Amino acid sequence: MSAYFLRRLLLIIPTFIGITVLVFTLTRLVPGGPIERMLAEAQLGGQKASAHQQFGSQALSEDQLQQLKEYYGFDKPILQSYFEWLSKVVQLDLGESTRYGEPVWDTITQRLPISIYYGVITMVLTYLICIPLGILKAIKNRTPIDNLTSLIVFIGHAVPGYVIGIACIAFFAAHLEWFPLGGFVSDGFEDLSLTEKALDLLNHSVLPLLAYMAGSFAVMTFMMKNALLENMAADYVRTASAKGMTFRQAIYHHALRNSLIPIATHFGQNISIILTGSFLIEKIFNIDGIGLLGFEALMERDYPVVMGILVISSLLFLLGNILSDLCVAWVDPRIRFGEQR
Amino acid sequence: MRYIGLLLLVISSLVNAAALPKNLKWESNNSAPLWASPAAEKGGTFTDFILSFPPTLRVVGPDSNSSFRGFINANQLSLTSFHPNTLEILPELATEWAYGKDNKTVYYHLDKNARWSDGVPVTADDYLFTMTFMRSKFINAPWYNNYYTEQIVNVTKYDDYTISVTGAVARPKEELHYYYGLQPTPKHFHTLDDNWVKNYNWKIEPNTGPYQITDVKNGKEIIFERKENWWAKDNRYFKNRFNVDRVVIKVIRDMNIAYKYFEKGEIDTFNMLQPDLWHDKAKGRLYDSGYIEKFVFYNDAPRSSSGFFLNMNDPTLADQNVRSALAYALNFDKVTQTVLRNDYERLEQFHSGYGEYSNPDIKPKPFDLNLANQLLDTAGWTTRNGEGIREKNGKPLTLTITYGNKEHTDRLVVLRQDARKAGIDIELQLLDPSAQYKTIMQKQHQIAMLGWSTGFRPDYWQHFHSANAHKPQTNNVTNTDDKEMDKMISDYDTETSREKRIALAHQLEQKIMVMGAFIPSWKTTYTRGAHWRWIHLPDVPGTKTGDSLYSVFGDGLLWIDKKDKIDTMAARKNQGSKNPVTKVFEQYKVK
Amino acid sequence: MIINPETRKRWQRFKSLRRGYFSLLLMGAMIFASLFAELWINNRALLVVHQGHIYLPTYGDFLPGTTFGENYDWETNYRALAEKIKIEKNGDFILMPLIPYNPFENDFIEGEYPPYAPSAHNKHYLGTDTSGRDILARLVYGFRIAILFSLFLLAISYTAGISIGALMGYFGGKFDLITQRIIEILSNIPGLYVIMIIASIVTPSFWSLALLLAAFSWMGLTWYMRTETYREVNREYVTAAHSLGASHLRIITHHILPNTIAILITFFPFSVAAGITALTSLDYLGFGLPAPTPSWGELLQQGTDNLEYQWITASAVTALSLVLILVNFIGEAVREAFDPKTHTFYE
Repeated sequence: MSAYFLRRLLLIIPTFIGITVLVFTLTRLVPGGPIERMLAEAQLGGQKASAHQQFGSQALSEDQLQQLKEYYGFDKPILQSYFEWLSKVVQLDLGESTRYGEPVWDTITQRLPISIYYGVITMVLTYLICIPLGILKAIKNRTPIDNLTSLIVFIGHAVPGYVIGIACIAFFAAHLEWFPLGGFVSDGFEDLSLTEKALDLLNHSVLPLLAYMAGSFAVMTFMMKNALLENMAADYVRTASAKGMTFRQAIYHHALRNSLIPIATHFGQNISIILTGSFLIEKIFNIDGIGLLGFEALMERDYPVVMGILVISSLLFLLGNILSDLCVAWVDPRIRFGEQR
Repeated sequence: MRYIGLLLLVISSLVNAAALPKNLKWESNNSAPLWASPAAEKGGTFTDFILSFPPTLRVVGPDSNSSFRGFINANQLSLTSFHPNTLEILPELATEWAYGKDNKTVYYHLDKNARWSDGVPVTADDYLFTMTFMRSKFINAPWYNNYYTEQIVNVTKYDDYTISVTGAVARPKEELHYYYGLQPTPKHFHTLDDNWVKNYNWKIEPNTGPYQITDVKNGKEIIFERKENWWAKDNRYFKNRFNVDRVVIKVIRDMNIAYKYFEKGEIDTFNMLQPDLWHDKAKGRLYDSGYIEKFVFYNDAPRSSSGFFLNMNDPTLADQNVRSALAYALNFDKVTQTVLRNDYERLEQFHSGYGEYSNPDIKPKPFDLNLANQLLDTAGWTTRNGEGIREKNGKPLTLTITYGNKEHTDRLVVLRQDARKAGIDIELQLLDPSAQYKTIMQKQHQIAMLGWSTGFRPDYWQHFHSANAHKPQTNNVTNTDDKEMDKMISDYDTETSREKRIALAHQLEQKIMVMGAFIPSWKTTYTRGAHWRWIHLPDVPGTKTGDSLYSVFGDGLLWIDKKDKIDTMAARKNQGSKNPVTKVFEQYKVK
Repeated sequence: MIINPETRKRWQRFKSLRRGYFSLLLMGAMIFASLFAELWINNRALLVVHQGHIYLPTYGDFLPGTTFGENYDWETNYRALAEKIKIEKNGDFILMPLIPYNPFENDFIEGEYPPYAPSAHNKHYLGTDTSGRDILARLVYGFRIAILFSLFLLAISYTAGISIGALMGYFGGKFDLITQRIIEILSNIPGLYVIMIIASIVTPSFWSLALLLAAFSWMGLTWYMRTETYREVNREYVTAAHSLGASHLRIITHHILPNTIAILITFFPFSVAAGITALTSLDYLGFGLPAPTPSWGELLQQGTDNLEYQWITASAVTALSLVLILVNFIGEAVREAFDPKTHTFYE
């Protein structure tokens, strides 16, 4: 078993290289990179031209373009610059953001606590709500309660999180003024006492969390419900019941534990989701998290940041997959990885 | 490049020995009309927003071209400035100026009181340093490198407070100030080396203007504070301006959410050019009770050359009849009257709003399906296919419009529907702005929808001279290649007589219109917005050339009634007693 | 599929699950109605009798205004024609569809600015969008595009997913190992982001967007297919078929595939929903199909930009929720019908 996990760990390396090579190549081949963006900005209207300069008629010489390419590291062949990038990554250097001019690592870690905060709370709350709800729905399968909750959960699933977010802001924050319009904490946060700090944070978190969670109920709830239904039909529950256990006991002692397996499988994948968040929700609530950073980096063609986030999220995803398997093995000792595959 | 810079420094310091020419006629201007309000009070905090956190605080170099740069630039004074209403020259960092006989050089006496925000005096060396700085390869700004080499050719220091600036081409006097004006760069602050771009990303550069950045909250907001003892506070033209003590620039990433902040009183003012904002969002109790006031201010300034640019290298569009037919088939007025709610006007010509330089006789081609149909019949697009689209040799008349702004989709879908009646099928290609720009610069577009930034005077060479046609990376995106046009452009560029130049400009506009490769779209002729009633403005709240009523640094005309702010914030949840306020100011409306 | 007793039993079971069954009926009706949308939402008349000639303009080539004695040679404005006929009463007859607008045309009301609120009088039953186009028309035509898009996307990704998954399970070994890595790589690349990059530089078409999305979504099925095949391969009937000289292809298509199809069908409704959601999100962000394609994402975007035009947001959100709920109900029922294990003995 440990040999299996060791092999899985080693296989991360080729996969990781594959992912990064692909995306790296893509960033090189796609037009609209930082240089072209500079060229466009120097010329087109819409942006105010600076008062005393007019660059309109000027074109850059080959030398100057070459200099720009050097500055952005676009002057070398793709593979060569990829390996230069990779050798830096191995030394834990993700390079510098072309947009912010500061190390990518700093850019990411500044926003990490915010993303983790929302990610972890969303995940915990989702589990806390979905597991009991799934159990309830399984036990009360095809009753009005089941139908009603299905409807609610599906509506939450169907309406995109950002739409819920915007509606919440318009109603609860702008109209009723119950909550602030956005941001992570208030302006004078540093001066508050500990309880005030907690309240302030909570106050800012309610609406974004609502938007985050609305969509994530459906998958988890139904996974739980289906798994439990399946186990309720299984022979051992039948046997347990035949031995005189009540329905309730049979479920709680036998079916439930096994039903948690698929939920556990899902756990590892959540890790990378925690990080990436939803850039649209972050955008409307003005939360400076990783999702927004990634989206802005992509739109502004800040490729070092794009690659940096990819490195972190894909590593987490790969590790998360392995973690999932570990979870499964822990929940269900009967499963032995690596033996039959 | 580095050596060239050094060499130039050596040369200019050698020239220093040269004495000031005699017989210079020194001018100044201390009697121009004032435009600020004597009633203005100092104090208060003003909150505004930007849609994204600036990538850097530098104003040159990579990624410095963000919307935030405007805030920093507005606090960097120049040698002289233009009166926002009369366009006469006003002293700023220079107290007096004189013109050289070559029509290329301006001499300046510098204000000896001028100080950087760190207290260091502003001297001639800071202007010399501007040249060194702007020509340096370390700043990684090739356009600046070029401009300060090819356009501004020399700066000479005569003593610590006397300099001259020389440009490459002879120009009329007011243009000398516009094209060869200079801002000082704090020499004591910069160290130019390979790491300049990185090292100066978040450093706050000393400035000469009324405000300075005092706090940067990463990703959230940037705070400016008024300088208590600003060196220029008693300058005639700065009095009663720059009244607010503290300016907070918040980052709010979504326009709609930002508007909610405004309605909550967390932002003081809101610019509202967008029709849906002005007509549909900006109404209700807050407006009816007079808590928020709406102002429309007509201005008179060069309008962006916006519209459709037809690539004449495209075989279909090479035919002048097709180009004209397209212009007649586009129903701009319908878009204006519906989607744009009559808020925009049709742009008349390539250079509109350039005062006398614009040709008052030019009217754009109107929507006329009969003419369009006739022209297309003449051009040989005679048959129509099953969908009603014209064909020639079995090929349908499909034209692709490349555009880069999602907001324009609403206008284009309306134009598209009416063009179909003339048998023209329009395909819409929305691209990311920089991808759109690349496509256009490669001249791979068929029709490009875009607007060029405005200048001080019309500029034809970059857009219409054959020297820029049929090759990538030039602004002649129509691929105009016309001998007669070339001749007129070079005449225009070398002419120094104002009258003749204006006449040539009028002819050129006419020629552009006849050729039909540019179809003008829309312009706005005013700025408008809403503000909470505690914001006060002069009786004439804006300036002729101003593009915002609420520019707290540039014009700096507004002031805050602090007591009214407290009262209004307390009362805003209730029905107010006052009447709604919507004011329209037509002082500078172009008839 | 051949109707064997097992299939019939599943169908019976599905029918007995009323929530899913009715959802399927409703969904089927909606798809059917949208496929013939031209007959009930269109600016072309269904039938025109003009000077004794009968015209059926709905399908086929456009009829210029001159056909009906108008003085223009572009497509007839049938609504105006209908008005004229009503006034003139010269024996001509015209029958307009229920909703006399097509999803592309901008219908403007004199003296008012779009978007227009719902109005039965103007026959804009759900109002118009910000450029004056009928929302109901755009919803229905947008639904048709979304569902066809989703089906096409499924066709590609299922074909790829099933065949690759089956091959992995069947051959195992190195092929399996390498393909696993490729799948891992692909599923780690943020597909939506990549599509956004590509869509921002080349305007995608219906087909290219579906292919792009498929490139990042075929992997999901392979795992199940691989495991199922893996299991089936070791069954006796496969070994028997092999010893009888059946080729690999024949074994996979004739023996393994039919036995694994059950599990694939249960994925189907959810995949349809995923396809619709993906297209809507891309359209919402402006990276989807080019304007003026009718699209739910575009409506959503207009609605969230202008919450004061509630009818836009409400229409788009209701439509999206309805479809996704129906699909999910169907999916749930299919899963239950195909998988008897889920029938708890307590029922």
